[in-house]
Amino acid sequence: MNTTRRSHKLLAMTAASALVFAACGSDDDAADTVSTEPTEDSVAEEPAEEPAEEPAEEPAEEPAEEPAEGEGGGTLIWAHEQEPGDLHLDDPENNLSITSWIRSAMIEGLFGISGSTEYYPELLADDGELTTNDDGSVTGTFTMRDGLLWSDGDDLTAEDVVWTYNTIMAADGETEDGDPNYIYLLGDRTGLDTITDISADGNTISITWSAFFAGYKGVLNEVYPMHQFNADPAVAAAELNDGLRGWTTPDGSTIASSGPMIFDSWDKGVQMNLVRNDAYSGSNSPDAKNDGVAFVDGVQINFVTDTDAQINALQAGEAQIVMTQPQLSFEDLASSDDFTVASSAGPVFEHWGLNLNNVHLAKPAVREGLAFAMDKTEVMAGLYTPLFGDSLPADGLGNTMWLSNQSTYENHAGDAGYGAGDIASAQAALEGAGYALNGDGIYEHPEDGALTLRVGTTGGNRLREIQQELIQAQMSDAGIDIVIDNVEGGAYFSEVPFSADAIACATSGGAEGNCDIWDITQFAWVGGPWPGGQIASYRAGGPNNPYGFANDAFEAKADECDATVDDVERAACYNEIDRYVTTLELDAENGLFMLPLTQKPSFYGYTSDLSQAGVAPDAQGSGPLTNVADFQFAD
Amino acid sequence: MCVMVCRPSVPVHTTTDRSVATLFAYVTRRVLISVPLLVIAMYLVHVGVSATVDPRSDFYLCLPRCQEGFDSITETYALDTNIFLRPFTYFADLFSGDGLGFSSSVGEPVGEVMRTRGWNTAMVAIPAFLLGAVLSLLLSVYSARRQYSVGDYFFTGLSFIGFAMPSFVLALIIQVIFGVKLEEWFGIKPFNTGRKTGENFWELLRDITLPAVSLAILGIAADSRFGRSSMLETLNQDYIRTARAKGLTERTVVWKHALRNGLIPLVTLWALGFSALLSGSVVTESIFSWPGIGQTFLRALGDSDLDLLMAIVMFTGVLTVIFNLIADVLYGVLDPRIRLG
Repeated sequence: MNTTRRSHKLLAMTAASALVFAACGSDDDAADTVSTEPTEDSVAEEPAEEPAEEPAEEPAEEPAEEPAEGEGGGTLIWAHEQEPGDLHLDDPENNLSITSWIRSAMIEGLFGISGSTEYYPELLADDGELTTNDDGSVTGTFTMRDGLLWSDGDDLTAEDVVWTYNTIMAADGETEDGDPNYIYLLGDRTGLDTITDISADGNTISITWSAFFAGYKGVLNEVYPMHQFNADPAVAAAELNDGLRGWTTPDGSTIASSGPMIFDSWDKGVQMNLVRNDAYSGSNSPDAKNDGVAFVDGVQINFVTDTDAQINALQAGEAQIVMTQPQLSFEDLASSDDFTVASSAGPVFEHWGLNLNNVHLAKPAVREGLAFAMDKTEVMAGLYTPLFGDSLPADGLGNTMWLSNQSTYENHAGDAGYGAGDIASAQAALEGAGYALNGDGIYEHPEDGALTLRVGTTGGNRLREIQQELIQAQMSDAGIDIVIDNVEGGAYFSEVPFSADAIACATSGGAEGNCDIWDITQFAWVGGPWPGGQIASYRAGGPNNPYGFANDAFEAKADECDATVDDVERAACYNEIDRYVTTLELDAENGLFMLPLTQKPSFYGYTSDLSQAGVAPDAQGSGPLTNVADFQFAD
Repeated sequence: MCVMVCRPSVPVHTTTDRSVATLFAYVTRRVLISVPLLVIAMYLVHVGVSATVDPRSDFYLCLPRCQEGFDSITETYALDTNIFLRPFTYFADLFSGDGLGFSSSVGEPVGEVMRTRGWNTAMVAIPAFLLGAVLSLLLSVYSARRQYSVGDYFFTGLSFIGFAMPSFVLALIIQVIFGVKLEEWFGIKPFNTGRKTGENFWELLRDITLPAVSLAILGIAADSRFGRSSMLETLNQDYIRTARAKGLTERTVVWKHALRNGLIPLVTLWALGFSALLSGSVVTESIFSWPGIGQTFLRALGDSDLDLLMAIVMFTGVLTVIFNLIADVLYGVLDPRIRLG
C-alpha cells in the first residue's frame, strides 16, 4: 500500500517537474521569439540556404548606394489565417492575396504600388519616358537604379528584366485556336502580348508596345534572377513553374531575393520563415520610413486559422501582428493600450450592382430612388469609423474607377446627391415613375407591382450582412422593400449573377436566358492604379457583365481612355466614363447601374512590442510585408 | 524438444481454432460489406461536394482574362460533364495508378498531405484518447461506487457542463486560461496557444497539451456518464453479490469482476471516439492551429479542393469501419457469451 502511494507521489512529482521545466523553458523561448534570438528555430536549427548569409559579408560588387545597417533585430511574428498552397502566384489556381503578400517582401519589379494605390518606380530610377512612334507603336525607355543586388550578391540588371519577359512569353507551339502555347503559367498576359521589342543596354531597358497600353506600369511587376536559371527562356519557364512553388532553383537552393527578405523555410500548416536580405538596396516607396535593409532579422508567418486564436496568440506574446478578418473580431482588442490598429483605405471596394433587365430596375427613376435612399454615411459611421477613424471617407465611395485615396479620385455619386439618405428625393423619383405607396408603406407600380428587390451575395460574411441590414432599413424608410437573399457557400456568383442563364439575359438584352435570377448583387471589386482592367466588365456582351449595360459611346470613350498616353488626361478620361456607371448624367436610360458603397479598410493590429510598424498594409498585391523594412521592435 | 512421450503430430481442431476461423470469417464478411458501402458513401459525397462547391469560383470575376486557368480546372475536375457522372472520373483516376491526386489547397500530392497531416492528428489524438479513456474509466468506477455522494454529484455536474459546452467554447476557454492568462497571473507560460516548431520533446509537449486536453475533456464528459450507468447496473447483478458473499475484497470485486462487464458500452464509445479523433477535429485543430486532418479538411472545403476532400472522407470512412470492427471483436473478448456469428 505504502509502495503504491509512493509511486503515485513520484509520478505526480515527475509530472509537476515536467510542467515546471517546460514553463521555465518557455520563458526563455518566448523572450527569444519576441525580440532577441527568435530565428533560433528557423535559422540556427535549419540554416538558411547558403546565399542568404553571404552577401552581407562579401558583396559581389561595391554597391553605389551603401545599404543601411539593420537596427534592432528580432523576428517579427505575423499570425495569419490563410496559408498559400505554394508560392507560384502566377498559377491561376494559386492566385491568393497571401501569396502576393509574402512574395512582396522577397521580389521586386519595375514599378511597385504605394499605400495610396499608385505606382512608384521600384527597381527603376524614375518613371521612364514614353515616345509615340510614327507607326503608332509606343516605346518606353526605363533606367534601372544603380547598385541593385540579388541577395546572393549577384548584380540585378536590365538583362534580368529582359530574360524575365522572354521566359514569361516562351511558347512551345500553338494551341488549337492558333494562340501561342505558353510554358510559364500565367492567366493574363495583357500588356505583355503587345510588346514587340524589348532590349537591355547597360542599365537601360527599352520596351516597344504595338500600341499604347495604359497599364504598362503593371507589367513585369516581378523580376526573377536570370543567373539561377537556364539562359534558354523555354527551359527556364518550365524551371520557374517548378521552382516558384517551393521557392527553389533547379539546383535546390533558395531563389535569390531583390526585396528586403529572403525565403528561409516552410513548415506547411504551421509556419513560414523569412530572413533579412542584407544586400537589399532599400525601398523606393513613398511610404517607406526606412530606406535601408530591414530592422528585423526576419519574419515568421504563423498560420493560425481561427481569428480568436490569432488574438490569443497576440496577447500571449506569440505574435506581434495580426490582420484578421472579419474586423469585428478586432474591436474589443482595439481599445487596449497594448494594441494599435494601423489602417488605410484598401484597394477592395464594395458595391451594389443592379440588373438592368429587372422590371423595376430597368426604370432609371427606380435606380435613382435606390441611390438617393442609401445612406453611406450611416454605414461608415456604424461599421468603420469607430475602428478606422478617418482612413476611409465618411461619406463612402462615389467612383468605380478611382479609389478615395488616389489623387485622381472624384466623388461622382456624391456630387449627384446619391448615398446621403435623401428620402424625399428618392420618393420623388419613384412617384415620378408612376409608383405610389401601398398600405404596407411600400411603393407599388400599377403594372409592375410592389417595389420588392432581392439583394444577394455570398453568405457568412457578417460584416457585409450587417451592411445589408442597415441599407435594408434605409430603403424601407423610402418605401423600397429589400429582401436579403444570400447564398451560403462559394457558389453564389457562379449560380446567381454570373450563371449561364443570367449572362445570357444580360448579353441578349433580356431576350434569352433568365432575367429573374437576381435583382441586386453585392460584391467587391479590386481597384488599382490602372482601372482599365475592370472596364471589360461594363462592355456589352461580355461574360463578366451581368448588369446588361450596353452603350457604344461608353465603349468608344473607354478605348480612347486606354489609348491616352498622358497620365493626367487619361485619369480624367476614366473619371468621365465612370459617370456612365455611377450616374445618369451621360446615359439617362441605362446609366447608374452600380452603387459604390465603400472601400474596405486594409488594416492590421500590432502589439506594443513594436515601436515602429510599416504603413500601407494592403496596397494591391502587397499587404503587411510591403514595408517590412520599417518594422522595428521597441527596446 | 520432446524427450519422454511424444504425441503424434496430427492436426487437431481445437475450440481456439474454431474461434479464430469464426473471427476471420466475421471480419472478412464485414470488410466485404464495407467496401461497397464506402464506395457508395464516396459517390454521394462527391456528388454533394460537386453540387455545392465550384473549384472555379475565384475565376468568374477575372474572365475572360483568366480563361486558360478556368478551362484547365474545368478539364481537371471534368466539370463539363454531368454532376452524377463526375465521381466515375475520380474513381477511374484513383484506380488507374494516378493515386489520390494533387491537393490544390496544400500544393502537395494528396497522399503526402494525408501522411503528414494524419501523423499530426495522431500526435494529439493518441494522448487525448489515452487521457480520456483512463480518466473516464476512473470517474465511472468512482461515481458508481460512491453513488449520490458529494464527489459523484460534483463529477456529474462537471460532466454535464463538459457535455453541454460547444467544443469551440471549451477550446477557447482552455486556450485563454492556460495559454494567455497563466502568464499574466503567475508569470509562467507552460503551454503554447498553437502549434509552433515543436521539434524537441519539451516544445512538442507544450504544443500538444492544450489541444489534447480539450479533446480529452469532451470525451470524458460523455464516456464517464455511460460508464457510470453501466457500472451501476453491473454492480447490482447477482454474480457480483455472489462474489462479495464469497468474501472477495471490494477491490477484486470491482476491478476484476465488475469492470469487465461494465466496460462493454465504453468499448463502443472508445472505438468510435478514437476513430473520430484520428479523423481530425475541425474545431479543436483550427483553434490550436494544429495542422492535422481536421484543419486540412476545412481548408480543402474552403478552397474547393475536391481530391483532398475525397481522400479525407475515404480515410474517415475506413477508420470508422476498422474501429467498429475492433469494437465488435472486443465485445467477444470481454464477454465470452457474445458470439460473432
